[in-house]
Amino acid sequence: MKQEFLLGNGAIALGLLEAGCQIMTSYPGTPSSEILPEVVRFSKAANLNTSIEWSINEKVAFDNAFAAAISGKRAACCMKMVGLNVAADSFMSAAYIGNIGGLVIISCDDPGPHSSQTEQDSRLMARIGKVPVLDPSSPEEAREMIKFAFDLSEEFQVPVMVRPAIRICHARQNIEYDVLENNLTKADFKREPTRWASTPKFRFLQHKALNEKHVKISEKFNTLTPFNMHNLEKKKSYPFGVVTGGVPSSVIQDMFEEYGRKDIPVLKLGAPYPFPEKLSSEFMDACDKVLVIEETDTLIEYLLRDKHKTLGRLSGHVPMEGELVPEKIEGIMNKALLDCGLPALSDFDCGLEAFNLVGGLELPIRKPTLCSGCPHRASFYSIRKALPKAIFPSDIGCYTLGSNLGVVDTVLDMGAGITMASGFWNAYIQDGVKKPIVATMGDSTFFHSGTTGLINAVYNNSRFILVILDNHITAMTGMQPAITQGDRVDGSKGNAIALETIVKGCGVNYIKVLDPFDTKNMIQTVKDAAQYVNDPDGGIAVIISRHPCVIGFKDEAIPEKIKVTITDKCDECGFCHTRFECPAMYQDKENQKTEINKVLCAECGVCLQICPRDAIERV
Amino acid sequence: MKTINYVLTGLGGQGILFMTKVLATTALNKGYNILGAETHGMAQRGGSVVSHLRIGDARSSLIRAGAADFLLSMDESEAYRYLPYLKKGGKLFANASSQTFPDERIALYLKKNEIESRAMEAAKKAMELGSPRSTNLAMVAFYAAFGYGPLTADDLRATVDDMSPGPFKEKNLRIFDVCYETGRQMV
Ligand code: SF4
Ligand code: SF4
Repeated sequence: MKQEFLLGNGAIALGLLEAGCQIMTSYPGTPSSEILPEVVRFSKAANLNTSIEWSINEKVAFDNAFAAAISGKRAACCMKMVGLNVAADSFMSAAYIGNIGGLVIISCDDPGPHSSQTEQDSRLMARIGKVPVLDPSSPEEAREMIKFAFDLSEEFQVPVMVRPAIRICHARQNIEYDVLENNLTKADFKREPTRWASTPKFRFLQHKALNEKHVKISEKFNTLTPFNMHNLEKKKSYPFGVVTGGVPSSVIQDMFEEYGRKDIPVLKLGAPYPFPEKLSSEFMDACDKVLVIEETDTLIEYLLRDKHKTLGRLSGHVPMEGELVPEKIEGIMNKALLDCGLPALSDFDCGLEAFNLVGGLELPIRKPTLCSGCPHRASFYSIRKALPKAIFPSDIGCYTLGSNLGVVDTVLDMGAGITMASGFWNAYIQDGVKKPIVATMGDSTFFHSGTTGLINAVYNNSRFILVILDNHITAMTGMQPAITQGDRVDGSKGNAIALETIVKGCGVNYIKVLDPFDTKNMIQTVKDAAQYVNDPDGGIAVIISRHPCVIGFKDEAIPEKIKVTITDKCDECGFCHTRFECPAMYQDKENQKTEINKVLCAECGVCLQICPRDAIERV
Repeated sequence: MKTINYVLTGLGGQGILFMTKVLATTALNKGYNILGAETHGMAQRGGSVVSHLRIGDARSSLIRAGAADFLLSMDESEAYRYLPYLKKGGKLFANASSQTFPDERIALYLKKNEIESRAMEAAKKAMELGSPRSTNLAMVAFYAAFGYGPLTADDLRATVDDMSPGPFKEKNLRIFDVCYETGRQMV
């Protein structure tokens, strides 16, 4: 037995390998990103031959896992919840077609949101795709649920989703584990076109069969202790009960224990869909009122039939948006109890007094910023300098933080930097206006979803500049290797793919590669590109701004350390710390002078090129 | 055992995760169950970072506002920001000057809620000792000096000893010892 203080994503990885998962695919995205590297770590330590890959995007990850599962192997793919949107096309068909070997989809939710563009609830996606879903309440339970998910998936030949929320993924827990073993199942795909390549007529039959499976699974979920259970006493009725699942269910259990509230029964639904009708009816029948506390949306609340009895989001007791943090849950619980004429848990003000007091202190707003020495900062500076009046569609990654530098106007989804650039062009050119547009996109995002949009834009004759910010890594989600480098998740070598080749292959004839640390050159290049875009014989211009990430590649990123200082030419215009926004630069509160924080300074020397007064000098 | 709750805060890049690991490993070595909640992703880029650590048998990883026994902050503003998490009678340790900390508007609240607050310029100390990135260890040692909670200074020091890779061991232990002494003098 070994014991570790494991990240929830580590517990998930452990569960996958304990279940004998043979094929693992993923695209990184907070809060799911650490699952795959943890699978690699455990797999290597136990000498397993698990096949593990970072796929180019979530749909590709899904399809890869699906093929393995219909070949009889146990396969899983994991992603963040918005990644599931990318895989949705395959996901929606998968349950109809079904699988042979277990297929588990791990879709990690981000209520808050902390690091995402929406707060969507993957359980609702499961509902649309008719995929059974499990909602863990702790890292340990996530691990157990994954093993169960594989068994269920094989028993009923349907894919199963496990939906850990961010507080599972990024929780840590001490977890014990034993020796891991290889699953030796061999691939054995049996041709059956009516199933694997079925036409609409057969899809109808598959849908019918799926619905029959759901009835049976729902039945199973009625008695699925400890994932689904209540603590009603026989023949007793209650004025008030709580229905919950996932992360809030642990909070509520802790809370009731702390306040010694044995009088409130709880129905925990860790396996909420297909809905365990019988179990929940038992609970509803025994209670006069029930409060539904679930994250992030209203799955259980909609599926519970008796709306007269339920309190929750629909009754205004639970907020429609935001994470249900413990103090919020306590406040909700107190109000619901009082509304039902019962004593509250506490007279706790949810920290209101303290939060108000702290709010009045005007603490510095700590918006995230690009790291000191980040090559994106240099790129954004030059783009803005060259074309200050352009529209700047951008995309998802560290470089979204370019909004602080005024060079990110829009962020919609992965790939929209390019597709919205062509959209803006079309909208303006219709009025005869040649609007300057500079789109930015990271190298990983470009591979994930950029090429289709670029081909479309070339084909339809749109005009804009695309700057691909190539830093050799997927930085924001925790430094996953990039396709341009050809490194794979387990450290082995795949085949590197050059951005230039792909861009050329998309039909772009104007491609410039540069190092953004030379801002003068980059400013000129962006200006030249703008001319090409405007030229009747021109087209889309692509600039590949190439410089390794300072965090991922410390030595390569800053080959020559440049120490800088601020001279007395500085007139405190504030450009370097407020506009250029290097976190190493600040204005000292006491002496009102701009200074450099030596701990934070990456010694990149880029600021030497940007000070309007030439007040920054090399030492 | 009653669950003991730690809220650890600071800015992205200050090494909160390592600080959490030192406390957690120490607790684990003593045979306690532990649960934690961390910040990853976007917020790590220079934003305000918080880590929750619960020693005992809790089920949920987040600490409720008003329920933390200890708040250790590597930044003065962040110490204020997370103050609502401290319970009545909780203890606050901040990387700040003991001359100016806490802000007078806060002092009243602390008094009313019987919160003991202690400050040491941990970043400055770490810098003087030649390891500006070890503010996190300086804070752990400073906290340890007061002898509160289930983890003793010896336990924590042993963990630092264990976890520090060869070339950093001596420096880290020196920072620990110096900051521990600074704390002892305030007891
Ligand atoms: S940009 Fe130059 S002049 Fe302006 S505050 Fe910074 S150092 Fe001073
Ligand atoms: S050299 Fe200048 S731009 Fe680079 S990190 Fe240091 S202060 Fe920031």
